[in-house]
Amino acid sequence: MIRFEQVTKVYDHKSKPALDSVSLDVDRDEFVFLVGASGSGKSTFIRLVLKEDRATRGAVYVAGQNVANIPSWRVPRLRRGIGVVFQDFRLLPNKSVFANVAFAMQVIGKSRAVIRETVPEVLKTVGLEGKNNRMPHELSGGEQQRVAIARAIVNKPGILLADEPTGNLDPTTSMGIMKVLDKINQNGTTVVMATHDDDIVNTMRKRVVELRDGSVVRDDAQGIYIGETTTTAAAG
Amino acid sequence: MRFAFVLGEIASGMRRNLVMVVSVVLVTFISLTFVGAAGLLQLQINQMKGYWYDRVQVAVFLCVENSTSESCASGPVTDEQRSAIEAKLNSPELSTYVDTVEYESQDQALVHFREQLANSPIVEAVTADQLPESFRVGLVDPEKYEVISEAFSSEPGVDIVSDQREYLEEIFGYINIASLVALGIAVVMSVGAILLVATTIRLSAFSRRRETGIMRLVGASKAIIQLPFVLEGVIAAILGAAIASGTLWAVLRYGGEWLSREYPQMGFISTQELLLVVPALFLLGALLAGASSLLTLRRYLKV
Repeated sequence: MIRFEQVTKVYDHKSKPALDSVSLDVDRDEFVFLVGASGSGKSTFIRLVLKEDRATRGAVYVAGQNVANIPSWRVPRLRRGIGVVFQDFRLLPNKSVFANVAFAMQVIGKSRAVIRETVPEVLKTVGLEGKNNRMPHELSGGEQQRVAIARAIVNKPGILLADEPTGNLDPTTSMGIMKVLDKINQNGTTVVMATHDDDIVNTMRKRVVELRDGSVVRDDAQGIYIGETTTTAAAG
Repeated sequence: MRFAFVLGEIASGMRRNLVMVVSVVLVTFISLTFVGAAGLLQLQINQMKGYWYDRVQVAVFLCVENSTSESCASGPVTDEQRSAIEAKLNSPELSTYVDTVEYESQDQALVHFREQLANSPIVEAVTADQLPESFRVGLVDPEKYEVISEAFSSEPGVDIVSDQREYLEEIFGYINIASLVALGIAVVMSVGAILLVATTIRLSAFSRRRETGIMRLVGASKAIIQLPFVLEGVIAAILGAAIASGTLWAVLRYGGEWLSREYPQMGFISTQELLLVVPALFLLGALLAGASSLLTLRRYLKV
């Protein structure tokens, strides 16, 4: 579903590359944790998949297509196949829960009837039934993130990218979010989640790809993750 | 659905950005009013040319007592000289140029003079024998004035040959200058309008960066993301064009009415001429705002 071939990304020629010839394959229906300290290249990975940035060297394939060959007017179509969730939720504060999710369908031209039918279904999937008319500021952090997830999957993308989705949440709420993401993965969506939350990674027991200074240093099928400080302590 | 969505986005964008939208409306209003004024002045010149060029004539003034030109050295024009001049005007050689020939006697000249300067005290002091008699020559082609001038300026008994078009050209010159000034102001104001539209769209794009960010992420097309902004600028400019058109209409309707009363013999353009100018103003306003918004969005709204 996502394939990186020797991908290098250099933002600034004077500093080290953000990604340094990374090769990686993510299959359909997989759930992958992308772990590593801040600045290890996790966000760059996500930006390259979305074609927000262009790889300096190497090739990025999404759903079998080399993104470098997608003309700019076709980029929206690429992005419709990818849902994205962020640490800071990015909800529209003046729109209700329903309207926030519906917005993602409106802007790609879905009909009112389809929207009315789909949005409540998706809100149910993420565990927000009955909260259609709440405003974002009336919701807890966990609930806001669920709205963001609902918005990311409402157009049924094949891939869900989550960039530190639990970064602003307490451990209990985070586990709730993980259950939602796992359910989405069970329903056939490929999930790539960037995180440095070792508790979550160790509980889920999914594939773990660890990045350090832009390189893949580990790729375990059912891996664990020991945070940066513990690793150095163990090594020492 | 998309249409309703775009409309909703425009409405919310304009509400949030109301002060800027109002200023865009005002600046485009002023600049387009000057553009329109320049256009209308040109139309006025055309109208006057059409009206007057058919009526103006070349006047061949004959010698009077105190004429100073060389050909009048022998004193006032004699009857023989007068008939010779008239015969020459009606001769076959000149018939291809000359359309009509009318004789104006000194008495008739005095009548015309009194009509034209009805309110002036000078009228009382002038007598018929001070005014020259003349032949009024209508030309087939008014541009061929030189032919008459050359043929008659050294003819005995002819004082001067004068082309009345020269006076008109002078008036047209003034109107032209006025229309150039209007155009100059219009250009400066239009530059102001373009910059203001750019700033407005930039602010608008900034205040809606959350929305556009999400639209990008969920794969909204470039058109759907940019259209509300472009239309916001275009709608503001069109409002400005509408007010400018209304203003020009009022000026023509009431100002034109007044001018026609004051100068009934002059042909003034009417509100009909607006049919030519108004569509141009709308088009120009929409184009300026549209182009300016698009260029701004290319810089400030990444898609």
